[in-house]
Amino acid sequence: MLSPLDLKLLRDIGKMKGQMVSVSIVMACGLAMMIMARSLILSLESTRDAYYADHRFADVFCDVKRAPNALRSRLARIDGAATVETRVTGSAKLDIPGLAEPADATVISLPDDRPQQLNLLYLRSGRLPEFGHADEIVVGEAFANAHGFEPGNEITATIYGARETLKIVGIALSPEYVFEARPGETLPDNKRFGVFWMNERDLAKAFKLDGAFNNVLIKVAPGASPLGVMAELDRILAPYGGLVAFDRHDHPSAQRLNDELRVLHGLSFAFPAVFLSIAAFMSSAVLTRLIRLQREQIAQLKAFGYSSTQVGFHYLKFAIVIVAGATVVGGGAGMCLGTGVVQVYHRFFRFPELHFHPNWKMFGVAFAVSAGAAFLGVIGAVRQAVKLPPAEAMRPEPPAEYKMSIVERIGLSKFLSTTFRMAWRNLERKPWQAFFTAFGLALATGIPIVPGAMGDSIHYLLSIQWDVAQRQNVTVSLIEPGSASALTDIRSLPGVMIAEPFRTVPARLRFGHRSRRLAVTGLPRDAYLNRLLDDKERAVELPPNGLLVSAKLAEILGAKVGDPIILEVQEGKRPTLEATIQGTITDYAGVFAYMEINSLRRLMREGGTVSGAYLSVDTNHWDDFLARVKEAPRVAGVFIKEAVRGSFKKSTGEMIGMITTIYFTFAIIVSFGVVYNSARIALSERSRDLATLRVIGFTQREVAAVMLSELIILTVAAIPPGLWIGSQLAAAIVHTASTETVRMPLILTPHSFAMAVVVVLCSSALSFAVVSRRLSQLDLLGVLKARD
Amino acid sequence: MDSAASARAPPHPVQNGPEREPLFRARDLTKVYPSGESEIRALDGLDLDLYESELIVLLGASGSGKSTLLNILGGLDVPTTGTLTYRDLDLTGANEDDLTLFRRDSVGFIFQFYNLIPSLTAKENVALITEISRDPMTPHEALALVALDDRMDHFPSQMSGGQQQRVAIARAIAKRPEVLLCDEPTGALDVKTGITVLEAIEHVNQTLGTLTVVITHNAVIADMADRVIHLSDGQIVDIQENKSRRPVRSLAW
Repeated sequence: MLSPLDLKLLRDIGKMKGQMVSVSIVMACGLAMMIMARSLILSLESTRDAYYADHRFADVFCDVKRAPNALRSRLARIDGAATVETRVTGSAKLDIPGLAEPADATVISLPDDRPQQLNLLYLRSGRLPEFGHADEIVVGEAFANAHGFEPGNEITATIYGARETLKIVGIALSPEYVFEARPGETLPDNKRFGVFWMNERDLAKAFKLDGAFNNVLIKVAPGASPLGVMAELDRILAPYGGLVAFDRHDHPSAQRLNDELRVLHGLSFAFPAVFLSIAAFMSSAVLTRLIRLQREQIAQLKAFGYSSTQVGFHYLKFAIVIVAGATVVGGGAGMCLGTGVVQVYHRFFRFPELHFHPNWKMFGVAFAVSAGAAFLGVIGAVRQAVKLPPAEAMRPEPPAEYKMSIVERIGLSKFLSTTFRMAWRNLERKPWQAFFTAFGLALATGIPIVPGAMGDSIHYLLSIQWDVAQRQNVTVSLIEPGSASALTDIRSLPGVMIAEPFRTVPARLRFGHRSRRLAVTGLPRDAYLNRLLDDKERAVELPPNGLLVSAKLAEILGAKVGDPIILEVQEGKRPTLEATIQGTITDYAGVFAYMEINSLRRLMREGGTVSGAYLSVDTNHWDDFLARVKEAPRVAGVFIKEAVRGSFKKSTGEMIGMITTIYFTFAIIVSFGVVYNSARIALSERSRDLATLRVIGFTQREVAAVMLSELIILTVAAIPPGLWIGSQLAAAIVHTASTETVRMPLILTPHSFAMAVVVVLCSSALSFAVVSRRLSQLDLLGVLKARD
Repeated sequence: MDSAASARAPPHPVQNGPEREPLFRARDLTKVYPSGESEIRALDGLDLDLYESELIVLLGASGSGKSTLLNILGGLDVPTTGTLTYRDLDLTGANEDDLTLFRRDSVGFIFQFYNLIPSLTAKENVALITEISRDPMTPHEALALVALDDRMDHFPSQMSGGQQQRVAIARAIAKRPEVLLCDEPTGALDVKTGITVLEAIEHVNQTLGTLTVVITHNAVIADMADRVIHLSDGQIVDIQENKSRRPVRSLAW
């Protein structure tokens, strides 16, 4: 049996359900995002950790030019190394039927004379290659799905210049290719890049690595430091052309996944915080108003003998109901959204299974956080209400005191209609209430800017990357650095109008105690195709000596222009060189270091060596070009800009579109909720005045104008600061969503601002319309009989 | 006196001849409010004619139907059955817009709790009406009629209850209404202040010739009326005609 106070609670809630629901929904939006992001984090992290553990993902990785298998036992003795695996890896060029351009694959060996110990495959279907079957391969799932490959299908591949027909026997996943993309690439291009696994002996033969390996994986013993293992590994492999060892932190797939988690962590905090603070303001406004209206009831309850605590708790229960509703709705919505989004994530991050794990702990936290926010908003009004002695509270509040508004005192009154005068004076009489309402409206204006800015930011990033900076339509990379004649061969391909060589040299860049593994890229000084840009999109000319680095790289190294950088080259004679940072460039994906190509060659003591070329190919000769380049034995990979762009639009674009839509929907809900709630409070506070006006002959429309003029003033006043707040919010969120892999520039377009204004004006118009309808239900007689 | 018969009969001549047309003509007026499973008959077959320039006092206990009658006369409510006409306007079948127009053009209301807009000064409260009326006085004129022209720029919170009620009267009469309806105008006031408010109402009735209907619990006030209508259980039980109206100044309670 409910107590009479709880019955009163239920009925009061029934009477003000519109407002309770609007506050609850705004809160629910914040909670939905929080629970969605937190649950995604939990899902991804727990799945990742279990996958890495079950499939024995290595801790340390290293490439080497050629090391004899006899070295294995020495590697196994490295202090702190629990398990060591050696492999052969390389790349293959693929000729896929139906795909005009060539694709490429990373081919990885599977041990055939011993069990596989690290980076175990998860076979989705089929089987592993059988011993002695040189043509059998297992294919990575993302690539297989992109082409609809199944066990039994065949693929033509060029491995180390030899053309072979390979038979797919299995489809698999690997913990080292959770993000199945070319190392260092930001976006997956599953149509043109795949991962193949085949028997070690056969692959070694194909790469002329009989009895040797070129890749090492190490599982570090519990408690041991990967750093020590890496140092020792580097020392042992150095004579064999070992590149710098790295740990999971620098592993391309692991890093990409970590970046995504970092973004989710940021978003799980930033957006909900804004939404929950708006909801706190709203619940404060609603309940403060309720308590003021029930002043006499509170006095009566106290006169009957209810304690202040009981009465106070009664009003806090309103907040609890709002928060509980929000938690249920927000939690449900968060789980629905999360279940959908996790499927999209599963397309990017390949796990054997990726299930949505609701973060139940987060439900508790969400409830506590929003209850805390709501309590803070309400506690002041509750305290004021229970503090009043019953006799005093039972008397109606003294008449509201008004004075001339500032606008009138400075002599502008003749420009104001009576309606506007009322509005101005009301606003000035309760400046804090006006401020908080305007603040809520400003946030409602600002929030829709964020998804707009995110979309524009991605759009800008890609147009800079693909249209302004990179003017080539094809990039060709060679299997091994080639001589000047290789460039001549490329130039002679059909349709090639411009060919600009590039030279990439893998190196470790070191400044002080910080370092970074990457490839230093040498470009011609007067590059026309692949250009380097500054933060104003102006082309930057390469200095004759020294480095131009991504601004982000300078930040990572803690270096500035003029600082000397140590280059530990990981190729050829592996010299250790020094080069000065001559300037920084602005780029948005990955980090790069550039040098003038001849200056790089001089440092490397080599002639006209090239690693590949950027091409401008005449599209009239497109088919000829592709046919020839597929055959070219020295070409390792061909990257076609339009193809990558198309695949981006289909995959990543779709995902960004979905996230943006979710945020935009939430923004609209908040915008509507805030305006509706403000209008309802205005209606409740002014109902007596409005009823009086109706009685003395004002039409409904005229009365609506009186009620709305205050809100119109506030809405108009809130828009400019709202746009500013939105910009700041967008900056913060874009910053949060920026990682080393992708750095989102803050792009604010008039379109985003206009959209935000349209959203807030439409939701204003809609909520005004909804509230105005209630004017017809004004109790003209009742309101005149009762005192306020 | 037979209430029904006398209600239908021409009233005692006040200023003009008995052949005058009534402003309001109510016939068999009934108002029923549903109340749970039963119903409340707030007005029960009431017949009444009201004339220009009359000052009417409605007396009766709580629930006798005074306020219901006043609300229906003022176009705030419609009868359940029966007919009510105001001049040629049929108020029985009028829609919301017609009623709004009727209130706007013809009726002035005065309430027990003044119902001034607290954010507007005395003058502006009156101007609210004058802005939407066809042939209003200036706010200054209206306030002068209630002797408040020296308080024009005061906000309600800066005035006494009596002064606020006089502003309400000025607001009600600024449009030169033909009908002034007052629901317990002195209910919230002390005797002295009540007298000043009634004086203002009397003054308006006499100078503008407005049909004035005053609801009160206070029988003493009845002496200022031309006719006193006693209501009980939604019916007229007695209509008392005063040979001469007592000036408000001489009333005391």
